[in-house]
Amino acid sequence: MNNEKKLVVAHAPYWHDGSKISTKNYNIIIAALPAVLMGISQYGAPALAVIAFAMACAMIWEVIMNLVLRRPIPIGDGSAAVTGLLLGMLMPATAPWWVIALGTFIAIIVGKQIFGGIGFNPLNPPLLALAMLVISFKGVFDFNVALRHYDLGFVMTYPLADLKYFGTEAIAKFSLGDLIMGRQAGAVGSTFGLGLIVGGLYLMLRGYTRWEISLSFLAGVFITALLFNLSDPAKYAGPFFHLFTGYTLIAAFFLVPEDSSSPANFIPMLIFGALAGLGTVLIRNVGVYVDGIPFSILLMNLANPLFDRIRPKAIGKVVENA
Amino acid sequence: MTSKGEQAFAFALAAILLVVGVVCYAAFPQEEPEEPVRLMFKSTAGKILFDHKTHTADAGYGIACDDCHHEEQEGSSSCSGEDCHGPDSDPKRGDALHTNCKGCHEESGAGPVECATCHVM
Repeated sequence: MNNEKKLVVAHAPYWHDGSKISTKNYNIIIAALPAVLMGISQYGAPALAVIAFAMACAMIWEVIMNLVLRRPIPIGDGSAAVTGLLLGMLMPATAPWWVIALGTFIAIIVGKQIFGGIGFNPLNPPLLALAMLVISFKGVFDFNVALRHYDLGFVMTYPLADLKYFGTEAIAKFSLGDLIMGRQAGAVGSTFGLGLIVGGLYLMLRGYTRWEISLSFLAGVFITALLFNLSDPAKYAGPFFHLFTGYTLIAAFFLVPEDSSSPANFIPMLIFGALAGLGTVLIRNVGVYVDGIPFSILLMNLANPLFDRIRPKAIGKVVENA
Repeated sequence: MTSKGEQAFAFALAAILLVVGVVCYAAFPQEEPEEPVRLMFKSTAGKILFDHKTHTADAGYGIACDDCHHEEQEGSSSCSGEDCHGPDSDPKRGDALHTNCKGCHEESGAGPVECATCHVM
């Protein structure tokens, strides 16, 4: 008897629906445009510089790495452009060029290429780069310092920093409408809540991102923030403040549902998203960092192989060499 | 695999974005404005974000320059040392800022006076 495991595939016919990785990635770029354009309209040429340079650098690093490895150059699939765009959206408009060059290097080479390229990265590349940059260059990501020369006609202090250092009294000056409409200090492409929601809905409705992860992440943030707020309203901000400030919305729609670093089954997706949301608010409320997004999601990325073990039982039974 | 068209598009996009990025970085360098908008003071007790524009603008508190900046105002005699730098007349920046900021806030009954309402601890 031959007990070797055989490769088992479903039988024909197969059907290709015509969708390609590049179509998906360019759709993600289109979905991100409202938030990016708002950032550029607010901060002007420096914001455009950050976005354009980040996308270009990410693509160049991918070309260089694949030339070195003598592999086919995959930048035509748009994956590197998306990684660069998302990292640019997480940066302040004043980010120096060398931080962008280093950040895209971390995202593309360390975050993706050394694991084998697209589809093999265990961690979200832009978030890995953001986490390493935040830890290494705190000053660059202190939005109150970075944006101190800007006066855009609304409250220009960083909402999450006000909450962290001065408590809930200091955030009374932020109206929910302003936060949703992008009238808040922050990263280039992370402040325009409405634009991010519209982009996110587009991606979910077209099936490019999994709604299960995005919505469970938002639910995780909302419920955790609500519980903290109910326990001590004078100390902890309400759930809507956490939803519309910092990196919450860009993470929910563009970062957490990244294919390779998130689970594939229904229940694991819900757990993954909810725990990432919970971790975000935990770090914001009791941790040392102003925003917990990169660390909370990276932690869940690390736990992803465990989530993938929660899977439905196969129907039927195994027959040895039937 | 990606098609030749997609590959060419990606290379063109990368080239255009690189030019745009480099030109924007080169043409619009970060410069300090002539009159600061906000300042971040660093101190051992924690940094302080000071909204310079709100304090000086007519629509804000309308404070005159030489109410705070004496050394730059030639011929000004408004600083007698102790007024700004504390009772021991030791001209330290921290004492001057505390006397000026807190003094004015207490006098006008507006603005923060507690440590943790200015200093990021």
